[in-house]
Formats: sequence, C-alpha cells, structure tokens
Amino acid sequence: MSTPIAVRVDRVSKRFLHRVKGTVYAARDVALDVQPGEFLTLLGPSGCGKTTTLRMIAGFEHPDEGRIIFGDQDVTRVPANRRGIGFVFQNYALFPHLTVFENVAYGLRVRGQSGPEIARAVGDVLALVGLAGYDHQFPAQMSGGEQQRVALARAIVIRPRVLLFDEPLSNLDAKLRVQMRSEIRDLQRRLAITTIYVTHDQEEAMAVSDRIAVMNQGSIVQLGSAEDLYHRPASLFVAQFIGRVNLIAGRLTSKAGDGVVVAALGTSFALADAPAGVVPGTDVRLLLRPEAVSVTRDPAASGALRASVTGRTFLGEKVEYLLECAGEALQVVQSSADAADVIAVGDSVGLRIGERALVILRDD
Amino acid sequence: MTAGSRLRDDPALAVSVAVLWLLLGLFVVYPLAMLFARVFWDQSGFTLAGIATVLTDRHQIRAFYNSLLLALLVGVIGTLLGFLFAFTATRCRLPRLLVSAIDVAVLLPLVSPPFTTAIGWIFSFGPRGLITNGLLGIKGVSVYGLWSTLGAEALTYFPIAYLALRPILAAIDSNIEGMAQSLGATRWRVFRTVTLPLSVPGLANAFLLLFAASLADFATPLILAGNQFPVLPTQAYLQITGLFDFRGGAVLSFTLLVPALIVFVLQRYWVGQRHYVTVTGKGAGQVPFDSVAPGMRWLLVAACVAVTVFIAYLYALLLYASLVVALGANHAFTLQHYKVIFTEGLKPIRDTLFIAAFATPLGGIYGVLLGYLVARKLFPGRRTMELVSMINYALPGTIVGIAYLIAFNDPPLVLTGTALLIVACYVFRYGPTGIRTTIALLQQIDKSLEEASQGLGAGTGTTFRRVTLPLIMPAFFAGLGVVFIRSMTAISATIFLVSIGWTLITVKILENITELALGPAAAFSVLVVVIVFVVIAAIGRVLRLLRAPGAPVTSFLGA
Repeated sequence: MSTPIAVRVDRVSKRFLHRVKGTVYAARDVALDVQPGEFLTLLGPSGCGKTTTLRMIAGFEHPDEGRIIFGDQDVTRVPANRRGIGFVFQNYALFPHLTVFENVAYGLRVRGQSGPEIARAVGDVLALVGLAGYDHQFPAQMSGGEQQRVALARAIVIRPRVLLFDEPLSNLDAKLRVQMRSEIRDLQRRLAITTIYVTHDQEEAMAVSDRIAVMNQGSIVQLGSAEDLYHRPASLFVAQFIGRVNLIAGRLTSKAGDGVVVAALGTSFALADAPAGVVPGTDVRLLLRPEAVSVTRDPAASGALRASVTGRTFLGEKVEYLLECAGEALQVVQSSADAADVIAVGDSVGLRIGERALVILRDD
Repeated sequence: MTAGSRLRDDPALAVSVAVLWLLLGLFVVYPLAMLFARVFWDQSGFTLAGIATVLTDRHQIRAFYNSLLLALLVGVIGTLLGFLFAFTATRCRLPRLLVSAIDVAVLLPLVSPPFTTAIGWIFSFGPRGLITNGLLGIKGVSVYGLWSTLGAEALTYFPIAYLALRPILAAIDSNIEGMAQSLGATRWRVFRTVTLPLSVPGLANAFLLLFAASLADFATPLILAGNQFPVLPTQAYLQITGLFDFRGGAVLSFTLLVPALIVFVLQRYWVGQRHYVTVTGKGAGQVPFDSVAPGMRWLLVAACVAVTVFIAYLYALLLYASLVVALGANHAFTLQHYKVIFTEGLKPIRDTLFIAAFATPLGGIYGVLLGYLVARKLFPGRRTMELVSMINYALPGTIVGIAYLIAFNDPPLVLTGTALLIVACYVFRYGPTGIRTTIALLQQIDKSLEEASQGLGAGTGTTFRRVTLPLIMPAFFAGLGVVFIRSMTAISATIFLVSIGWTLITVKILENITELALGPAAAFSVLVVVIVFVVIAAIGRVLRLLRAPGAPVTSFLGA
C-alpha cells in the first residue's frame, strides 16, 4: 500500500485573460502531494501563483484543469463550505460585528452544535491560543497579534481536514512575526493538522515547514526540505530566492569517477557530484553561499586563495565583506565573533572554500 | 464560471434580478420613454416641431439662459461658501461646541422643505420684511428676481459643497503642508501651491453638484424668481398646471434634461473619480500643521459664524412667524396657525406621513438589495442596472414628475393621483442613495469576510444573513433616512402627482404661500423640520447601536 495522501493537487491549471498579455496562467500544471500531518509551504515571489493555488485548494477559486483531492475524495466540484477547511487570511477577515467568542463559534454554529458544546470548544481553543478571557472583546479593540490568534482559533476550532494559511504574518511587525510563526508551528505539531501555508518570506518558510514548494510563474520549480532547497537548489531562481548566492564562472576540466574537477577562481576544485551530461571542456556556473567561505587575515595561509577586501558592512551579529578574488567579486558573510580582529577595506586576506560548498548549477 | 451560468445556478438571484428589471423598466425607463415620445412624436410621426417651438420662443430661451446663469452663480458662490466652511472646520482648530453648532446650522437647510429659506427670505427682505422695511425702513422694495433666488439657493445648497469638501481637506496630510512650510514657503504660499491644488478635484465636484441642484430646483424660483426671471423648471410647471399643455411641459423639461445629464456625467465619470490620494505610511497622530495665521483665523471664524447666525436667524424667524398673528403687521402671540394646520391641514399631514410610511421601508430595501446585487453578484447587465437605477436620482425632479404624469395618465397604466405613484416616485428617486451607500460600504468590506464564512462551512444564504446583512445595516438605515426626509420635504416631482385624493404638506405650504397665508406656511414648515429632526436623531441612535466598537462610522447623510 502506498503512503496515504491528505491533499493531492493533481495537475491543476488556472488561466485568466489579460488585457495586454492575452491568456496568462496563474497556475500551470501544479502537482503536489501533501502527507497527513505535514506542514507544506508554497513559497515564491508575488504573482507566482501560490495564493491562487491555495485558494483553489480551499475552493474559493475553481481550476480550469486538474483535480483537487482530499484523502480519497475528489473535491474539485465541492464548494468551499463543504470541504472542511480552516483558512487563515492575510487580513484575518474577522467579522467586525461579532465578538471574539462569536467569531470563533461561527463555524460551530453553522455546524449546528449545541450551546454547551460550543462554549466548551471555544473556551478550549481560546486558551490554546492564549486568549482566554477575551470572549467579549470586538476585533477592532485588539492588537494585530491578538487578531491573528483569533483568526487561528476560528480556523482550528472546527477541526478542519486541512489548515490553509495565506501569508498570515505579513501584517505583523518583525518581532511578533518570529514569535507567531513558532507558535503556529507548535500548534500544528500538537494538533497534527495537515497544513498548507503560503508566504513570500523564505526565512519564514524554512522556519515552519516540513517541505517547501518553490513556485515561479505559475509552476512549482522545486519541492523539498529546506536543507535540500538551500544546499541543492535546482536552479538559479531557487538559489537566489532562498538565501544569497555568489555565481562563479568555471570550466569542467576532467571527470574522476562520480566526481568532476572544475577550474575556477584561479585554482581547481574536486566536486563530488555533477549534473549528468556535462562533459569536460564545458563552461559551468558554480554557486557559492556567502557563509560557506571563511576568511583569514593571512593571505598566504596554506590552501587559501588570495583576495582583497573592497567593502565591509558591520551588521551586529555578522559582518559582510565584498571581496575580489581572481577577478570575481564575492559576497562573504562572517560571524562577527570570528571577525574579532578587524579586517579593513584594502586589506589582503586569505579565503578558504570547502569543496562541498560549491555546487554546479544545472541549466534553467 | 460565466455570469450567465451564475444566474441559472442561483434561482433566488435570477428572480431578484428579474423583479428589479421589471420595476426599473416600469418606473424609470417607461416614463422617460413616454416623455421622449411626447417630445419627438405626434400624430404624423417623428417631429422636431416641439423642440423648434421652444428654440424659437424668446421667452423660453430666456428661461433656458436664466436657468444656466442661476446654476452657474449658485455653483460658484455655494462652492466658495462650502470651501470657507470646510477649510475653517478642518484648519482653524475650532472648539468642539462651535463645530457642532456649525454642523447643525449647515444641516438645517439640507433637511428642510426646499423653500423654507425662501420663506425666511421674504419675511426678511420682502415689502414688509423685517430687515428691508422694519430695520432699514425701505418702502416698496421688490424682493423677487435673480439676486433673491441666488441668495436663497446658495444658502440652501452650500452645505452640499461643505459635505463634499470637508473630507477632502481633512484627508490632505498636514505633513505635506508642513513640509512645504519647512522648505521656506509662507502660509499663504502653502495654501496657494499645496492646499488649493490638492482640493481642485473636490472643488470641481462641489461646483457640479451645486450646479445640478440649482438647475433642478423648483421651489425657490417658484417663490422668489417672480415674473421677471423665468427659469425652466417653473416654466414647465406653469405650462402644465396653468395651460394644461403636457407637450409644452414635456419639451421644456427635455431642454432641462440635456444640461442636467451633461453635469451628471461630468460629475460622476470625470471629476468624481479624480481625487489625489495622498499616500502616506503612518499618518495618524500627526501634529496638525499650523496653517492659518491668528488674524486670518479670526476672520474665517467670523465669516462662518456670520453665515451660521444668518441661517439660524432665518429658522428662528420661521418659528416666530408661525407663532404671531401676521409677521410684519401684528406681532401678537397666537397658536392659531398651528390650530389651522391640525384641522384644515390635517389631511396633507396624514397623507404625507402615510406615503412616507410606505416609501421609506420600500426605498430602504430596494437600495440595499440592488446595491448588494450590483456590488457582489455576477449577472449579465449589472452595470446597466446600476446606471438605470441612477437615472431618476440624477434627473431634475420636474422631469421625473412630468414623465410620470405623461406615462401614467393614460392607459395601459392609469396611476395618476394614486398614493402608489407617489410612493414609487420616492422609492426610485431617493432609493439610489441607499444603493450608493450599500455599494460604497461593500467595497470597504473585504470579500475575504464572506470567504471566511464560507470556509467555515456556511452556505450563501447563511453567509448573507449572518455576515453581509449585519455589515450593510448602516447603509439600509442611511437609505431609510434619506427616503424619509425626502418623502417629507420633496416637491419638484410630486407636485405633478398630487390629486384631490392624495396631497402633500409641501404642496400645501406652496398653496399657502401663493394665497399669502404665510402663518400656516411657517407652521407647516416648522412641523416638517421637527418631524425630520426627530427621525434623524432616532436613526442616528439606531446606527450607533448597530455599530460594533471600532467599526467604521458612516454618516447617514453620506454626501
């Protein structure tokens, strides 16, 4: 038996007619399997189709092609109110004319539950999100973070089959955003609700998700764990979208078993794996994360490449350097604890680059 | 999903749309079509003879010219007055009490029968007027003509400009003005180069609104314009009631329709959409820019207070006139006029209240329903429906009245003289305020609220009942308020629709004035103002109760 699937997005497309561009795909052939209890994030820049995809899963929009399947039920034609979803909107969409209690009770009342049942369930869930005693407040009297918790409580109290979030934290300030995302993650683990989450913030995506689907121009371009995406990006787009990256020109000089040797930065690197079909003599592009380089004050240190410092920005916990090495400009980030002895603009320094840090970029 | 398939899937929507189209067809399109037919067709077929008679009649051309001249002057003066008040209210840091006093005084002309200012004007400046005769001792003065009409209309309608301009001036971020000042500009320069240019779309909008109001005004010129200054609405009225010439009335009202429509289209689709939104990140809690020099502040406040006091004086005079035997001749106290209106005048009071009691809820429901459908549902022709629903509201009342008279005087549908026709006239003429308020309110209410309800398991019906309806209640009550006020105070359309069976207070006031029974006219006017104020206060209370804490406040006069 195959692993059970909680939500399957089966080659779903959504088109619309643009006045200038003609037919445009908001989502194109999007395919996803979400495991029960999994926390999956759709990540991408604005206009990439992540919200459209989420809204199709919710039933607020209807795909032109493809199917949405919950468990073993095809819900493509089922209206949103009969899908059993919990949805948290970017603007929370709290009912301004109802109290916190009534907002949270709404879905239970619709389901015809009895008064005492509702009172107990709402009380429990408000305690769970840390809002016990707020029953009689109106949404407008609460802070953004509190409103966010009400929206969350309202979505989970109905015990949804799938919990859907549409950029839920983007209206909060930076500190609260970090706090709320870990609360959402904890709550999701505790309740083991299958969750699909939309954001454009890569750090947020990495902090909360089991898996991340990176989307661009209506399609999923890579799906994997945060580590996968960060260390083995499938394309320049993914590499640049998740974290920062240096792009270095190199040439594949020889193959050695599974690995290859690449000439770059005036020296050569032996890399463990390379994309299939790349033959010696071809030019390649190499990805190098800024923090995968270590800087030493001694330019002549053994095994180090010589570089000169062209820029330096102190950012508290870390220091960013702009370096020049064999004609390539490199961004490098060092922990400020390591950089106790100050390196200044104009200094010559040594660079150490671990061989696992370099990744050959497949062609997009 | 196409708009058409929505209609097939949703029978309730289909029925509502069909019923609304039927009503709009009957009470908006049909009368107007009949008016056109009367203007352009006779026994021999299509003809321009009707239009030609007007265009060659020097008297009627003068009426046309006078109407435009009056509207232009009222537009300019009213906009200036409105701007003066709006600027003073937003920039001069007035004490709260003074602001409330100004608000009430400004509200009075908006909720009174349309000729109350005119009556006060005659009491003050007429041959036996308190000011011209009593104070200045001028004998044999003629109050009638352009200047009196202009004065009374400017005072009656400038509140429209005030209501339109105040939010615009208030919305100008004072940091922008402060910024200009910090760059070295004097206060006058800031006003000239920043404040004024940012208000230009608002000023144009206010001017057009006033132009339209004056063009359509019937009651003030009927009382104050006199023989020497004919205007189109009164000419059309005299043509019909004096000469029983329906065709002539229709043609005259048609010549009024052209400028009225041009102004409406300009206002809604050109100026109405142009406002500078001053986008600012965090604007709240800013220190107001000190935009007015102390001396200028006193000057502005004094000007506003003077106008306010004058309006208050006119209304006080009205009250006084209702309580003395004969203003200007015998100032002995009497309740005789009230006795008259509650005996002989009881029928118009009863009729007016009866008609208002039906028109008000119907107009309120009509406004909310049509507004909701247009703003939230997809169905074929919804833009057209919105446009058609605005026609009777946009046209001068004289045109609507004459169109109804022509359409419903002959078979197949004879409704002239019935209360039903008057009710229909109010519903379709003043219900559109509710439509606009509902649409505006729904535009502020994010669609995600309805989706949230849907996502939580509620169907369309439950979502409408439990989420949408409570949120648009303020629009419903705003619509109720406007229909009620207008049912009590309107005359321009319904004067053509009253009969022996059904008559109205406003028509009775007009009769009293023409019979020179000014005491009862004053007493009737006081009664209407009191009723309207009581109802406004009640609706205001309901609105406050309905408002969830922190929800947006909606002024129900909502300009």
